Amino acid sequence: MDYAIRKSRFRLFAILAIGVSALTPLRAAAQDAAAQGVTGPLSGYMDFHFNKADGEPGVLDFHRFVLLLNHSFSSRLRFVGELELEHAFVEGLEESGELELEQAYMDFLLSRRVNLRAGMLLMPVGIINERHEPPVYNGVERPFVDTVIIPTTWFDVGAGVHGELGRGLRYRAYVVAPLNAVEFTADEGIRGGKQKGSEADVRNVGYTARAEYRPVQWLTLGASVWTGDTSFATPRLDTSVALGEFDARFRRDRLELRWQFAQVHIDDAERLNDSLARTVGVSPNIGKALRGFYGEAAYRVWNAGAPRDLVVFGRYESFDTQFRMPEGYVPLKEFDRDAWITGITYYPEPDIAVKADYVYLRNQSGVFPNRHLINIGLGWWF
Amino acid sequence: MPVRSLVAVLVLVLASAPGASPTRAQGPRVIEITAERFEFWPSEVVVAEGEQVELRLRSDDTMHGFRIIGAGIGAGTNVLIPKRGSGYVVVTYIGDRPGRYTFECSRMCGAGHNFMRGVLVVRPQ
Repeated sequence: MDYAIRKSRFRLFAILAIGVSALTPLRAAAQDAAAQGVTGPLSGYMDFHFNKADGEPGVLDFHRFVLLLNHSFSSRLRFVGELELEHAFVEGLEESGELELEQAYMDFLLSRRVNLRAGMLLMPVGIINERHEPPVYNGVERPFVDTVIIPTTWFDVGAGVHGELGRGLRYRAYVVAPLNAVEFTADEGIRGGKQKGSEADVRNVGYTARAEYRPVQWLTLGASVWTGDTSFATPRLDTSVALGEFDARFRRDRLELRWQFAQVHIDDAERLNDSLARTVGVSPNIGKALRGFYGEAAYRVWNAGAPRDLVVFGRYESFDTQFRMPEGYVPLKEFDRDAWITGITYYPEPDIAVKADYVYLRNQSGVFPNRHLINIGLGWWF
Repeated sequence: MPVRSLVAVLVLVLASAPGASPTRAQGPRVIEITAERFEFWPSEVVVAEGEQVELRLRSDDTMHGFRIIGAGIGAGTNVLIPKRGSGYVVVTYIGDRPGRYTFECSRMCGAGHNFMRGVLVVRPQ
């Protein structure tokens, strides 16, 4: 009997002792997490800028106020939403600001190789479109190539698949609402053609896909494509668009390098220009090929951990929205541009980026002056 | 509670606070995992059946989470990975049963958060 009681007490003591020892590190971890910042049910990012171009007054702009929310119906059924207010103010018929639903999709997580996604999707094109939180990229503003060649933030309604095929090889492929060729322009290319999931016309559809390969920890290679018929508003035309993109990211120790190349081809641009000229009286002079690329080098000169964390960077960009013109149309050299950008990103905290840069923006026209810009920004993720 | 299950549960619990480094004469194999928007590296971790490993998780940017999902051994493990420059968190894992166990980021980290997944592969001996 005594032996049985002693054995029982010993078991109880052992379980309690093991339990306490197991809980202690849990508590320690929780306390440490709290010390690093607490996040609520919402996440998001914000950034505001001071932009000053030579000969022009400075502008202070609260550029982006973005809230992300997510919900798990189960471990396999997830919702993610992203709502963005741009330029702080929205009023009917005003162009000053935008309220955009940039993401709102359901993920059906089936396996590592194949998962389904449907809703408002980010186009998986280029480095920035899916990675656009301010602490992620250098420069107060996003790269020009990711603005006028790849129209970030590029989103629309659609559905598709994503997954990881093998070690380091990831993909996504979606069927999405197409671009609207009627809204293409000479200076910003296909940017105006985004339907943004707002009662999108889907007489035609677009197809987009991206593959990323990470053979080693310090190198990521990416390739993207978007293609689709964009002539639903002008059915007699055949203005399909094909965009191809390649990129590479290298990061080792303090050095980070980025490179990206993107080219857009617009079929039937000649008849598109002609058709729009008949409608509005002026030819929009849309190019049949747009091209841009950039290379960026960044070095973490202060690497002692936030708040002793400072990155210096330089970037060269070349971008031309009239790289090739349709027969009979002359390219305007003001749209053949390149830019040198150099600046710093300071991280007082890993999720807060204080940025400053200088931009020398040139064009080939000989008529329009080159521009010098100073930008200062503050962006954060929470 | 079966002894085997008790041991498995205890081993899966966090071993230490971020930044700490356990000192053992002959400890488990250490596997370094880096989290960054929006992937883990490596995203596939192979463990032999019965092998105990120490997963050291650190971040290259924001705070991430590490959760093992599914019904296998380790399901329910969920820790925060401290931000860049703030050390690492340790998860001790034992490959108790052969199979493939998905892990994922459990803290919203940006637009591509749901892409951030990986797999623990427990190979039979």
